[in-house]
Amino acid sequence: MFERRLYHHIDWALVGAVLALCAIGVVMIFSTTAGQARGSSPLFLTQIYAIVLGLCAMAFMLSLDYRTFTDKSHFIYVALLAVLVYVLYNGDVRMGAQRWIALGAFNVQPSEFAKIGLALLLAKFFGENRGAPGWTDLAIAAGLTCLPLALVAKEPDLGTAVILLPVLLAVAYLAGMPMRAFGALALCLLLTAPLAWQFGLEDYQKTRLTSFLDPSQDARDAGYQQIQARITVGSGGLTGKGFRQGTQGQLRFLPVAHNDFIFSVLAEEQGFAGVLVALGLYVFVILRTLEAARLAKDRLGSYLVIGVMASFTFQVVYNITMSAGLAPVKGLTLPLMSYGGSSMIATLAGFGLVLNVRMRRFTN
Amino acid sequence: MEQYEDRRRAGIRMAVLQYLVAAVFTVLATSFWALQVVQHAKFNELAENNHQRTLALRAPRGIVFDRDGEVLVQSRRSYSISIVREHTLDLDRTIGLLTATLGLDESGVRAIVNRHRSEPVYQPITIIQDATLAQVAAVTARRLDFELPDVVVEQVPTRQYPSTLAAHLFGYVGEVSDTQVSKDRSLRSGDIVGQAGIEAVYNGLLMGEDGAKRVVVNSVGREIRTIAEDPPTEGKRLRLTADYHVQKALEDGFRALGYNGAAVLLDPANGEVFAFTSVPSYDPNTFAAGIDRATWTALNTDDLRPLNDRAIQGRYSVGSTFKMAVATAALEEGVITPDYKVYCPGHATFFGRPFKCWKPGGHGTVDLRQAIAQSCNVYFYTIGNMTGIEKIHKWATALGLGEKSGIDLPGEVQGLVPSPEWKRARNGEKWYAGETISVSIGQGAVSLTPVSMAVYISTIANGGTRVTPHLLKAVDDGTGWKAVAAPEPQSRVTLKPETVQAIRDGLFLVVNGARGTGRNARLDGFDVSGKTGTAQMISNDGVRMAKGKTARDLRDNGWFVFFAPRDHPQIAGAILAEHAEHGSNAAIIARHAIETFFAKREGRPLPAPPAPTSPPPPVEGDDPPPDRESPRLAGAVATGGQ
Repeated sequence: MFERRLYHHIDWALVGAVLALCAIGVVMIFSTTAGQARGSSPLFLTQIYAIVLGLCAMAFMLSLDYRTFTDKSHFIYVALLAVLVYVLYNGDVRMGAQRWIALGAFNVQPSEFAKIGLALLLAKFFGENRGAPGWTDLAIAAGLTCLPLALVAKEPDLGTAVILLPVLLAVAYLAGMPMRAFGALALCLLLTAPLAWQFGLEDYQKTRLTSFLDPSQDARDAGYQQIQARITVGSGGLTGKGFRQGTQGQLRFLPVAHNDFIFSVLAEEQGFAGVLVALGLYVFVILRTLEAARLAKDRLGSYLVIGVMASFTFQVVYNITMSAGLAPVKGLTLPLMSYGGSSMIATLAGFGLVLNVRMRRFTN
Repeated sequence: MEQYEDRRRAGIRMAVLQYLVAAVFTVLATSFWALQVVQHAKFNELAENNHQRTLALRAPRGIVFDRDGEVLVQSRRSYSISIVREHTLDLDRTIGLLTATLGLDESGVRAIVNRHRSEPVYQPITIIQDATLAQVAAVTARRLDFELPDVVVEQVPTRQYPSTLAAHLFGYVGEVSDTQVSKDRSLRSGDIVGQAGIEAVYNGLLMGEDGAKRVVVNSVGREIRTIAEDPPTEGKRLRLTADYHVQKALEDGFRALGYNGAAVLLDPANGEVFAFTSVPSYDPNTFAAGIDRATWTALNTDDLRPLNDRAIQGRYSVGSTFKMAVATAALEEGVITPDYKVYCPGHATFFGRPFKCWKPGGHGTVDLRQAIAQSCNVYFYTIGNMTGIEKIHKWATALGLGEKSGIDLPGEVQGLVPSPEWKRARNGEKWYAGETISVSIGQGAVSLTPVSMAVYISTIANGGTRVTPHLLKAVDDGTGWKAVAAPEPQSRVTLKPETVQAIRDGLFLVVNGARGTGRNARLDGFDVSGKTGTAQMISNDGVRMAKGKTARDLRDNGWFVFFAPRDHPQIAGAILAEHAEHGSNAAIIARHAIETFFAKREGRPLPAPPAPTSPPPPVEGDDPPPDRESPRLAGAVATGGQ
């Protein structure tokens, strides 16, 4: 159980960087939403509650040896699948997608937790293997990944669904998956892309992709958001327009500024300087996590950390690219900064596992 | 060993991941650098255009006062409804919804939008000017519901005129035309400028300077706050020479008697115009908020041509009112003295042709005063023949006839006093001495504008100064009234005192004599002096032939020119009443205006307007057109504004 000695091995620098990013997020949420006095409590307060809950989840993930979680990972996995199926039929519909379970004051988005569940399961799966994984192993792992992926994609939440893929790729890569497999995968993707375009994507998803290539063709909707994102970021300049002085975010030229586009608002109000600080913190968090993977006492721990890190990194990079109008607009939040309780709790719980692995590198 | 291999490979792959992350974040940081620092200026401008709008604040045009400070033309607030396509998702839907809301014709609205299609999308396209409050309310409600976020209601100053009063004097305003913009660099497309009357002549003074307001708008185009405001400068205020009450009295007179026509009343000392009218009139307010096609067409196709300013654009045969010009020429050239006498048997023969006087029995022996008072044609045939057409033309011109008056209104036309040169230039024919006989009583080719007749009688009243009629008395640019100097007289001759005295005596008798034809204008104590004139539209033969065959009104026009009082004239003027059959009916209108003028000067209560009546029968001792039977004249008459 939790020993006093372990307390000294907690990576406080990582915790500090994570909390700093959370704080920046809260400040930006305050900036974009404070003007809009709606009946319920301000959004930034809700976000603070989510952070507190997330820290509790983090503490819980720390309190037990990570192997306890990986040992139970198949139960967790099955339970998650059950909840995802439940959401598909009984979830709350918001903005056209069934992603939510109403749970008292909070609305839980189970798909956010699927990333951790999958990381635990894959860490266990590859960690128990000896040597480089063979084709069979890869096929099984792919199957295990595609099951929740399909369920989430069906909600439909293609964004969250897609971030399950980096978990598989990163863990398999670290586990020694042959490079030929990557080549084959890339080839497969290339060949199936036209089919996916034809049958797999909804119309609105196609619009988003085509308008990315030519934003002006759809200057009102998907393309509009992308153009506005670029204007928002570009107009920030070196030092920004100042706290709550951003015209793009404040006057709602940018939709869901407190959520998907929070980094754009940061770039507008705090400028390139603020962007560098935030990017620096993210790089620090990611590299520190990679170090935790390197330091892990066993392969299981190292795979677990990499699995958690993979979805986090992918999401951060994609969201920031999108915030600058350089990637198609997708409903992907920026972990640690965007408004959203489920995402916050799941992300902090993930960092709990990372800290857990690093903390227990000397235990047996 | 295998485990070692595993660890080594994992280490390498981890290092690859590290470099990958570092590389990705370097690319990201570089991208932000490119957007935020390198391209900052471009995006900053885009952001400002996004949320800032410059709105024009229309300057109200200057208020126009009468000579005593009575407000004549002012600006009121009105609302216009426009579409701003910048925020339009579906223009068809917007047009459909808007026309349904406002009860408009959809194709008309579509035509307006198409006309402005090439303009920048942030420029509002005005659909309705001067919207009713119900329309404004309907649009505002839908705007709040986000049903019509691309429709805006703007407050704009609109001109307000006293209905049809002095419409031709004020003129009207309208959107500047492309030709006007190309002529005057200070005008911009969409400006409202004067298009007629003093609105056009003094547009530069009246227009003011538009201001601008820079506002912040949100993503649906709603104004959030104002950044900077440059308030509009109201146009300069004008004080006219016109007198509201005299103007109204004049128009009341026309209305009461039911005549169309024109009149100009002025101060014979300096040319200040007291009243100026052309009937029928129109309502300039219909132009103020953008005239609709139907009204415009109606005004333009009306047989009575209400847009035509008869006072300066109508040319009419003037009849007996021309006789003073002949008298002046004869006296000034020394051809006769005031006491020169002619025997009138009721007719006379010149160059083998008989010419009739209007009074079959004749006037007997008359001198100049009596000849004017009784309008004896034979007397004027005789002295006109003695004086000759050149001298008549010379003196008529000196008195202002056949010349432009120089009034500060646009579109004045020149009248005509015939001369041998004119005839030669016109059709190469030589002047026949018999034509002089007709001209001597104002018939023949004589055709003159009412404003020039007013100048003519003023010149007689003031002894030879051809004043320039003008309408502007003072200008206030916000720092107090500054008087505008009266324009220089067009010309000045000094008439011999006995000339002036003899004509004045005759004119006095016309109004005040027992048998005067202008008795209708008599006002006790004010010595109104004047002359009636009756000008035929067509010869008597023509009247007989046209009977029942034409809808045209062929009744004679009536003139009355006057000044008062006789010795130190304060007011002079000319009144033309179309189809009044006799000048004595025009004198009724003059009397009311003169009475009002003096009542106001002396602070007495203003007289009640004459009761609406059908035209009274001509005064006894009338002077109908004298030589109706002359076939030679049939073609030369009917030169009026019809």
